[in-house]
Amino acid sequence: MTQKRRIGVYICHCGGNISDYVNVEKVADAVKGVPGVEVAKTHVFACSDASQQEMINEIKEQHLDGLVVASCSPKLHMFTFRGMAKRADLNPYQYIQVNLREQCSWAHTSDKIGATEKGIHLLRAGIAKCALTHPLNAIRVETKPRVLVIGAGVAGMRAAIMLADMGLAVYLVERENQPGGWARVTGEQGPEKQNGDQVVSALAERIRQHDNIMLYTGAEVVSKDGSIGDFTVALRLKGSETVSLNVGAIIVATGFAPYQPRAGEYGWGLPGVVSLADFRQLLSETKGRLEYQGKPVRSVAFIYCVGSRQTESETCPEPNAYCSRYCCSATTHTAGLLRQLDAKIHQYHLYRDVRTYGALEKLYEKARTDGALFLRWTPEKPPRVETKDGRLSVLVTDTLTGNEELEIGADLVVLATGMEPRQNEGLNSILKIPESTDGFYKEIHIKLRPVETVIDGVFVAGAAQGPKALAESVASALAAVAKTGGLLKKGFVDLEPLIAKVNPEKCTWCDKCLQACPYGAIKRIHTGEKEIALVIESLCKGEGACVPVCPHDAIEIEGYRDDQIMAMIDASLKEVATP
Amino acid sequence: MNPSPKQAGPDYDVMIVGAGVAGMETAASLGDMGYKVLLVEKKPSIGGRAILLSKVFPTLDCASCIVTPKMAAAAHHPNIDVKVYTEVDGIARNADGTFAVDLHSKAAYVDFDACTGCGKCEEVCTVTVPDEYNYNLVTRRVAHIPFPQAVPKKAVIDRRGEAPCTFTCPANVKASGYISLVRAGRYKEAFNLHLENAPLVGCLARSCYAPCEQDCTRCGKEETVHIRGIKRFFADHYYADHPEPEYGPVEKQRDTRVAIVGSGPAGLSAAFYLARNGHQVTIFESETQAGGMLRTGIPAYRLPNDVVDRDIKNVTALGVTIKTSAPVGSVAELKAQGFQAVFIATGASDEKKLGVEGEDLAGVMGCMAFLRETKIGTMPDIRGKAVLVIGGGNSAMDPARSAIRMGAKRVIIQYRRGRDEMPAHDWEIKGAIEEGVELMLLSTPKRFLGKNGKLEAVECLKMQLGAPDESGRRRPEVVAGSETILPIDLAILAIGLNPSTSKFTGEVPHKHGLLKADTRTMQTADPAVFAGGDCVTGPTMIINAIGHGRRAAFYMDRFLKGEALDIEFEALLEKTDKDTVLAEAKSFRTRSPVLQPTLALAERKQSFACYEGVMTDDEARREAHRCMNCGQCAQCMECVNICPAFCIDFDMRAVAKKFTVGAVVLSTGFEILDPAAKKPLNYATLPDVIDGPQMDRLLAPTRPYNSVLRPSDGKQPESIAFVLCNGSRDQTLCNPLCCRIGCMYAIKQAQLAMGALPLADVTIYTIDVRAFGKGYDEFYEQARGMGVQFVKGKVARIEQLEGGQMELAYEDMEGAGGTQKRKHDLIVLTVGFLPNTDAFKLYKGGDLGADELNYVKEVDPIGEPGRTTVDGLFAAGAIIGARDIPDTVLHAGAAAAQAAAYLERTRSQR
Repeated sequence: MTQKRRIGVYICHCGGNISDYVNVEKVADAVKGVPGVEVAKTHVFACSDASQQEMINEIKEQHLDGLVVASCSPKLHMFTFRGMAKRADLNPYQYIQVNLREQCSWAHTSDKIGATEKGIHLLRAGIAKCALTHPLNAIRVETKPRVLVIGAGVAGMRAAIMLADMGLAVYLVERENQPGGWARVTGEQGPEKQNGDQVVSALAERIRQHDNIMLYTGAEVVSKDGSIGDFTVALRLKGSETVSLNVGAIIVATGFAPYQPRAGEYGWGLPGVVSLADFRQLLSETKGRLEYQGKPVRSVAFIYCVGSRQTESETCPEPNAYCSRYCCSATTHTAGLLRQLDAKIHQYHLYRDVRTYGALEKLYEKARTDGALFLRWTPEKPPRVETKDGRLSVLVTDTLTGNEELEIGADLVVLATGMEPRQNEGLNSILKIPESTDGFYKEIHIKLRPVETVIDGVFVAGAAQGPKALAESVASALAAVAKTGGLLKKGFVDLEPLIAKVNPEKCTWCDKCLQACPYGAIKRIHTGEKEIALVIESLCKGEGACVPVCPHDAIEIEGYRDDQIMAMIDASLKEVATP
Repeated sequence: MNPSPKQAGPDYDVMIVGAGVAGMETAASLGDMGYKVLLVEKKPSIGGRAILLSKVFPTLDCASCIVTPKMAAAAHHPNIDVKVYTEVDGIARNADGTFAVDLHSKAAYVDFDACTGCGKCEEVCTVTVPDEYNYNLVTRRVAHIPFPQAVPKKAVIDRRGEAPCTFTCPANVKASGYISLVRAGRYKEAFNLHLENAPLVGCLARSCYAPCEQDCTRCGKEETVHIRGIKRFFADHYYADHPEPEYGPVEKQRDTRVAIVGSGPAGLSAAFYLARNGHQVTIFESETQAGGMLRTGIPAYRLPNDVVDRDIKNVTALGVTIKTSAPVGSVAELKAQGFQAVFIATGASDEKKLGVEGEDLAGVMGCMAFLRETKIGTMPDIRGKAVLVIGGGNSAMDPARSAIRMGAKRVIIQYRRGRDEMPAHDWEIKGAIEEGVELMLLSTPKRFLGKNGKLEAVECLKMQLGAPDESGRRRPEVVAGSETILPIDLAILAIGLNPSTSKFTGEVPHKHGLLKADTRTMQTADPAVFAGGDCVTGPTMIINAIGHGRRAAFYMDRFLKGEALDIEFEALLEKTDKDTVLAEAKSFRTRSPVLQPTLALAERKQSFACYEGVMTDDEARREAHRCMNCGQCAQCMECVNICPAFCIDFDMRAVAKKFTVGAVVLSTGFEILDPAAKKPLNYATLPDVIDGPQMDRLLAPTRPYNSVLRPSDGKQPESIAFVLCNGSRDQTLCNPLCCRIGCMYAIKQAQLAMGALPLADVTIYTIDVRAFGKGYDEFYEQARGMGVQFVKGKVARIEQLEGGQMELAYEDMEGAGGTQKRKHDLIVLTVGFLPNTDAFKLYKGGDLGADELNYVKEVDPIGEPGRTTVDGLFAAGAIIGARDIPDTVLHAGAAAAQAAAYLERTRSQR
C-alpha cells in the first residue's frame, strides 16, 4: 500500500436484529484504531434514508476512499450501499459489506460475548479487504432490442404481443405445431366465462397482424450462447432446419404438465374414472343428456387434490407437496357447468380445503347453494374408488359428519388433477434456470421478484414458475414483459466487473480454466509468441471455478484476489480482547 | 431504444397514485424502461402497508429487509420523482390521450429539504395521538417520523385546525399549547409560551373573562377545561420561582423611538413586543402608577396590585421606560420630542352620566371612581351604609361585590331590564347574590334626592319590557306613576364608560370619541400614529386590548423599519370542527373538572383577599389532561425551540400543483375492515382481542412492546387463538369474498408467535386453510409440524372471564360437533379487506367502472390485466381486489407493461 487509506466503517443495529446479540458499540470501538479507519460509527437502520444521507455526507466531507458497512447479508443490501457510495462519489466497488446478521447475530443468539467477538473478527477482515480495493468500472454491454419468448401458450402469446406493442422485436417459439397450449382444450374459464379456445384464437390473430412478432411453431431451442443483453439462440425447426437468433432477453413461458394419476390412484384406470380435463371435454361436447359410454350419468363424484398436497408414501415416493392452486376453482366452476346442463345430476365434492380464493369464492358459494354436496376427507383416510355391481362406488370418511365412512354410488368419478412442472430436460440443460423444491422454475424471490431468475436476462412467466390460473399467467407474463422492457429499452446494461482476470505473465495456456468454466467465458489468444487465456468479460460471472485449477496461479477473481483473501485471514486472526 | 425525446409533451410520462408495493413496483418498472415517472403518495412515507409487517410468508423474510430496498430504489431512481404527503385532487383525460392532474402537497409544517430526520421534535412533542403505524396499539407524538424505516425520513406535524380556545382568544394566546405543556410538567415553558402572545400572564390568570372556556370543545362532553385555572397555576408557579424576569433588554437595540400613551393592557403589550424588536419605547401614564384599568379598575379580590407589578416587570425588564404622572396633551407634542411613532392606548374610563336630577350630589359617583378610590385606599368608610349600584353589566358587579367586602349594610344592584337581560356574566351575578347583593330589576332611578348636597335617597321608577330594540333586546319602558323612594347613602353609576380620548380627537379622526384605526394594522389616518384597546373599541376585555397591543406592535415595527404593512399578521388555520373531535372522543370517559378552590363565603364577604385559590401541581396536570387536543398539534412550540435545523414552520400551507401526464396508474391499495362490526366477538370492548395487522406489529422488529404481550396487562400470553375469516366469506358483514391472505398471515403469525413464546399454545380456527400460492401449502404443513393446532370451526362469541382469560365459543365442524368452548389469553382476528374507493373520486370522467363490490373493474381480467374501463388509466395491485404481495407484484408489472404500451401508442399518434 502506497497511500494511507481513509475508510469509513458503519455498523448497523438492524433495529435490534444485530444489536440485541452483538454489542455494536464495542465492535465499533474495537476497529477504531485499525490503520486506515477514519470513521467508525453505528446506525439503528443503516439502510434507512436518513442514515444513508448521513453516511453520504461523511464520505464527502471526510474524503473517504473506502467504505465498510457491517449489517445484513449482501444479498439484501449490497446494491443499496453500492448505490449510496455512488451518490457519495465513491467508487461502488470500494464498498465492502460485512454480514453481521445472518453470519453472526442470528447464528449466535445464545452467546452474546462470543457473537461480539466474532463480529470484531469479521469486521476486521472486511476492513482489510476494503483497504485493498481499487476503483472498478462496470462492464457496459449494448443490449439487443429483441426478445425470445419460449412457449406459445396464452402467457407466451400475450407476452409477445405486449413486447411488440412496446416496440421490441419478438421471436415466439412453440414446440407444438400450433400455438395456444392447454388453454385450447380447457373450455370455459371461470369466473370470467371466456372460452380458452377463443382467447387463443384472438391472441393468434393479433400475433398474425403484428409486424414485430415472428412465430415459430414445431420449433425447439437447441443452444444458447452469450449473456444478458446479447444472447445467441439456435432453434431447430421442423425438418432439422436451424435458425440462429440474436436477442437481448429471453422469457420462458413453457407452462405446466397436467398430473398423470398412477394406475389405481383413486380408481384411475377403472371405467368412469376421468380427469377434470376429460370431464370438461365431455361436458363441452354434450348436447342434451349427459352420457358416458352410452350410459346416462345421474351421479358424479369429484375428488379434489389429486396429484397435489401429497405426502410421501410407498406408492408415492416423490410427492407433489404443493397446492396446484387452480383446481378448486376449476372444479367448483365445473359444478356450475354441470348443473347448467342437468340440475338433477347428483354432485358429490370430496375435498380437503376448498381454496376458492378472492372473488373465486363465488363459484364455491354457487355450487353449494345449488345443491352440490361437499364432503371433507383427510390424507390419513383418503377416498377409495371401487367398482360394485357394475357401478362406481366411492368410499369416503367425511370429517364433517362424525368421521363415518359413507358410500357414494357414482356414474362418473372426476379427479381434479393438479399441475406439474414440465419435464423439459433438453431446454433445462440449455437455460440452466434453477428449480424450486416443487420442481417449477425458481424465481429470484417469491415475494418481490417473481419473474426474474438468477440467469441475468432470462425471465420466467406463467405456470412454468408455479401453478397459476389463466388470468394469473397472463399477469405474470406481462410482469416479465415489464422487466424485459426495463432491461432492453435503455439500450445497455451494466455488468459486474468482479470477474476473472488472467495474468499474461504467468499464463501458459493449458486449457484447464476453459474446461472448468461453465459459462464458456475463456478464449485462447495469441500475444506475441505466447498463447494465453483471455476472459470474455460479458460472459464471465466471477464464479471462480477457473481459479483453483490454474497450475500457475495465473488467474484471479477481482474482488476476491489472493492478496485480499490473505489480508482478510490475517486480520481476522488477530486476537480480540474479550469484550 | 430510449423513449423518443418529447417535444413540449407531458410533464411526466406516467403518474402513479399510491406508493405501496404495487406503486413502487410499477414505478420502478416504468422508470427502468426510461419513462419519467411521478409517484404520488398521500402518507409522509412510501412503502404502503408492507413495510409495517413483521415478516412475510412463506419465506419468513423480515418485511423491512425486503421492502426497504424497494423503497430506496424508488426514492433514488433517476427517472422517478417521488412526492410524498401529496394528495391527488383530480384526474381528467385530455382529448390527446394525456391526463390533466391536480395535486396538492399537504402542509407538513416541516421543511423537508432542511429536516434531517433527527427526531428531536418527536422527543419533545407534548401531544399524543393513536399511532396508526402501529394500528393504534400505542400512541405516537403529533410531531413524528412515521416509522424508523420511513422514506423519506422526515418529520411531519399533524394540525387539523386551530384549537377553538386559541382561535377564539382575541390575542390568540395558545391555550392548547400551554395546557399541553402543563400536562407534560413543563411549567416554565408554559409561561414562556404565554409571553409570545401576551405579557400580562398574572393579570389574565386572575381576571380574564376567558372566552376560550366558553368555546372549549370539552363543553360538549361535560364542562369546559378550566383554562384560566391552569394559567393561574403556572403563572403563580413561575412568579414564585422568578420574582424578576429572566431576561434583560434585547441585544440588538435600534435607534427608533416610540411613544405609547397609556400603560393599560394595550399599551404595556405594545411596549413589550416593540421593545423585543429593539425599539426604544417610552410609556406615558397620567396616573401615579402604571397599569391603567388593571390597577385601578379591577377590585383587589380579583387582581391584587403585586400581580400587576410583577406583570409590568415583564415589560420594563426589556428596557421600556414608563413615565407616570405624565399626561400627554397631543400627538404633536410627542412628535416634537422626537418620537417616530405613537401608539394611543388611553382606554375608556370616562364615566357616563345618567342625566337625571341630583347626579351631582355627594354620595353619587361613577363605578370607576369608586373602584379606583377603593383600590388606592382613599374611599371613605361605608360600613353600615346602604349602597345602590346602577347598571346590569360586569362593571356593576365589581363595585357591588366590593361594597359587600367594605361592610355596607345593604347593597342593591338596580337594573332597568330583567335578570335574563343582564349583560354581566352569569357566574358574576350568582357570586354577587351569594355574597348578599340584592337585585332590583325592572327599575331605574328617576332622580337622586339629598340634603345639604349629600345623597339620602333615590326615587325609582318601575319599568316593563316593550318591543325589541335594534340590539334585539326588549326595550324597557317606564310604568307611569310607579315612583317609589329608596333610602340610599351611596349610589354608584355603572352605566357605561366613554373613551378617554379628548386630548387626541383634534388630531385623530374619531367617532363619538372612539379613535378610528384600521382594524388590521391599528394604524390611524396619520401613518405614524397607531391606536388600540378600549379607546378604539369602547370598553371590552383585557385580552382584547392585549391583542390590539401586539397587533399594533407588529405593524409599528414594520412601519419603523420602513417595511410595507400589507402582510398578514398571524396566519391561523380554520377553527377545528368540534363535532369531529367529539365524534372521535365518543369512547372517552367523562372526567369531572378540577375546580379551583374558592374562599369560603363568610371569609369572602369580609376580605379583599383573592377568592379564587390555586390548583396544586397534580390538580393542574389532571385538569390539563381533560384537554382533547382539538387541533392535534397544540403549538406548544417545543419542537420549534429544539429543532437544530430550524425547519419547523407553522405558516406552511398546502401547495396546489398541476401537471400533464401521459398515463396514470392507480395503486391506492385496500382498506382494512373494522372487526368491531362483529359485535359478539367483542373486538371493540376486550383489549386482548386484537386484529391481524395489530398482531403483525406485536411481532415486528420495531414492535411497540418489544415482546409479544397482551395489551390488557402486559402478560405473556400462554394460549393464543387466531380466528379466521372475519369480514371475509362473511355474509353478515356483506363481504362474501375471500381475502386471499388471512389464512397465510395467520399461519405466519402463529409460527412467529411460537418462535417468540415457545411455551405458548397456538390454535387457528378456520373454515378452510387456503394455502394456494407457491410454497404456501408447504408453509402450512410446516406450521402443523411445529404444533400449531388447526380447528375447523366457526367462532361465534368471545367473552371475558375473571382473571384475564377469555372464553371463545365455536361451532365445531369436525370431531365432536356442536358448540364447543375454549379459553385463550390473546385472540387475534384476521380481518377482511374493503375496496379503497378513492379512485372513483379522483378520476373526474365518471366512466371508471367498478365491480359489484366497488373494486376498480378490469375490462378483461384474462387478456388485459391492469386495464380499466378508461383508456390510459390503469390499475395495479389490490385496488382491483385484495391479493398477496407476489400477486400484487405480478399485477403491478402487468400494469407497468400496459402503461408502457399505451405511451408508445399515444406518442406515435400525437
